[in-house]
Amino acid sequence: MDLPTGTRNYNYAHDMAIFRTRTHWIWLSVLLAFLFTGPLYWGNYWLGVANLIGITIIAATGLNILTGYCGQLSIGHAGFIAVGAYTSAVLTNRFELPFIVGLISAGFIAGLAGMIFGIPSLRVKGFYLAISTIAAQFIIIWVINHWASATGGFTGISVPPASVGGISFISQGSQFYLIMGIVILVIFLAKNLARTRPGRAFVAIRDNDLAAQVMGINLFHYKLIAFFIGCFLAGIAGSLLAHWTGFMNAENFTMMDSILYIGMIIIGGLGTTVGPIFGAISIRMLQQAITLISPNLESVFPTLPAGFTTGIGPMVFGLVIILFLILEPRGLAHRWTLLRTSYRLWPF
Amino acid sequence: MSYKKSLKVALAISLTLTIVMIPVLSSGCAVSSSEDNTVNKVKVGFSICYTGVAAEKGRPMGNAKLDCMKYINEELGGVAGHQIEVVWRDNEYDAAKAVTILNELMDKGCLFFTTNSSKMMGASMEIANRADFPGFTVFSSPVCTHPPQHIYAQTPDYGDDWAAFATNYLENIWQGEGKPRMAMHLLSNPTGYGALDASKALADELGIEILPVAEHTATTISEMESLTRIKALNPDVLFISSTPQPTSIIIQNAVDLGMYPGITIGCAHASFTKKLIDFAGADAEGVYGTFPTVRWGEDVPAMAKMTEYCQQYHPDDYGNMDYITSWAEGLIVAEILRLAIENVGVDNLTPQAVEEYGIKKLSNFDVGSLQGPVSYTPGDNRLTKFNRIYQIVNGEITNPSAWVEAPLIKYEDFDWFGK
Repeated sequence: MDLPTGTRNYNYAHDMAIFRTRTHWIWLSVLLAFLFTGPLYWGNYWLGVANLIGITIIAATGLNILTGYCGQLSIGHAGFIAVGAYTSAVLTNRFELPFIVGLISAGFIAGLAGMIFGIPSLRVKGFYLAISTIAAQFIIIWVINHWASATGGFTGISVPPASVGGISFISQGSQFYLIMGIVILVIFLAKNLARTRPGRAFVAIRDNDLAAQVMGINLFHYKLIAFFIGCFLAGIAGSLLAHWTGFMNAENFTMMDSILYIGMIIIGGLGTTVGPIFGAISIRMLQQAITLISPNLESVFPTLPAGFTTGIGPMVFGLVIILFLILEPRGLAHRWTLLRTSYRLWPF
Repeated sequence: MSYKKSLKVALAISLTLTIVMIPVLSSGCAVSSSEDNTVNKVKVGFSICYTGVAAEKGRPMGNAKLDCMKYINEELGGVAGHQIEVVWRDNEYDAAKAVTILNELMDKGCLFFTTNSSKMMGASMEIANRADFPGFTVFSSPVCTHPPQHIYAQTPDYGDDWAAFATNYLENIWQGEGKPRMAMHLLSNPTGYGALDASKALADELGIEILPVAEHTATTISEMESLTRIKALNPDVLFISSTPQPTSIIIQNAVDLGMYPGITIGCAHASFTKKLIDFAGADAEGVYGTFPTVRWGEDVPAMAKMTEYCQQYHPDDYGNMDYITSWAEGLIVAEILRLAIENVGVDNLTPQAVEEYGIKKLSNFDVGSLQGPVSYTPGDNRLTKFNRIYQIVNGEITNPSAWVEAPLIKYEDFDWFGK
């Protein structure tokens, strides 16, 4: 960890601490205070956006572990999110099990599905692995659509509100606390995972799998672990998405969503803990901004025909992603590092 | 204290103050929005699929409803003297976006909302139902209104399309002996499978044999393989419930395989528009389809003004029957607001009041005769129950039948219907 001049680590606990200085703790406290007082002054709309961002961060963190840390490209992430969403929906709706059972099962079932589709990763990598994960996207959605007795098929399935210990998370505000609590837990786990033996093995496999194998890392074992963890988090995100939306249809998990998640971790910064956070916030806020801009532009030009601004969204979205990839390929996480460094060195 | 340390302290204090002040500032905003209400504007929310994969239908419908609002506000002076303030958003046919848009519409004080696809309503309806926030959708599948809660359907649903077509087919087209054999080619979403639900509920009762179902995606480019299998089953009639482009491909492939002409082809209303003829060309000749509105150019009271606005602002949409559907939607929105204002007064309007004293008070409202009369019937959240059967002749949608009433199917009573 980068520390200010004069701050030294004198023991292992210091070395491992995520928040090491008083300034770190102050910033963390301010951030948490800002987050957890949010429902007091944000309306339903912004709380809904925050909930969507939170769910997206969880899913993107999973993909970042799989792709950013371990280097296993997956273009079927929305499919694994769907597995989690439907597992939770079926368990809480059809079997009337508690939400917490649905949530945890969603993670495990999605993780297992990820391991199954991760088996080809022993033999193939790069674009070839990407193609096999695309298959996951299509197979999973096909099964959901045609296993109508459980999933509701094309009609869809309603999902009861999340409820823990008699507390129902129905309003956007209450769901915000639930989702943000899980987001913080996931980020904490992801940060620590990167510093464990599996985390270092993931990075070694990503950087050079042959060298990693020579060092004694069991490639198949660790690749499957990466698939399990990445898809476990996708399943958790899916479960939260299902309970947030209240109604599931397999059409909600498209190939485009899978590509969007890859875009998020690239924009945010591959192989960093903060990358998925920045990526998810950027993409989701950009989507919201585009949604809000169109009608406002129309009110500025009332003489033009209604609906004339609707092409702006896709154009701006594509343009921003292209510019970003050209100008800052290391992602927002790199910008964040530069900002922190310049702050620490300021005024020099 | 060093300069840097002072800066940190100042930053921390500023942030804390900002956090403390935001609720105060937000409450200030709330006061100003309630002041907006005192000028007696009434707000409605539109979640429109202007872009995305359903834009071929969403765009003309979005254009129509915004044009209709312009007409109501500028020429009719609003509703009962109150301007309608429209909050519209492009949902891009994206479910997550539809949810955030719904939250925004509720936050902004909209009295109710509309959308124009069963998928978007599916994504929005659970949150709307939990919040007692009413809304209606132009195109709907049975799952949107069964069991009936706070979501309504402007037109008969995709299941009703099948029921209306099947009834008309048996009465006026089928000449053979015994049960006709019906193949179904369905879009892989509620648009397609809404029709299947109705066939499961009614086929035996009507006396139709349903063959194994084929499905397709919205982006299909060939259905030769599925149609070859269907052809081998020797059907008498093929029913397609989909959107215009896939439907055109199925029809063209059926012609290529020599299946059509020879069998009857019927379409549900989501695909039966001018776009279908544009895409399929001469291959679509003789195809039947259901639609819940009149055609362009028919002599009905609302036609002249709608045509004037369409030709002035969106001439490309002229001839597209989706435009008619959503112009009618605009008129229904105005009628709901008029009834609610008349019954409870503009100052007492809430989403719940609009549902109770607006939507539920609709009784035989004539939408300029653009579609069947609009009524609320307890237990049946379809506001219109009438369809027409048309046929494509000489590149035109023509030969309209009389309005065919689609009976209420209690889907929720069937075990197989989504819980």
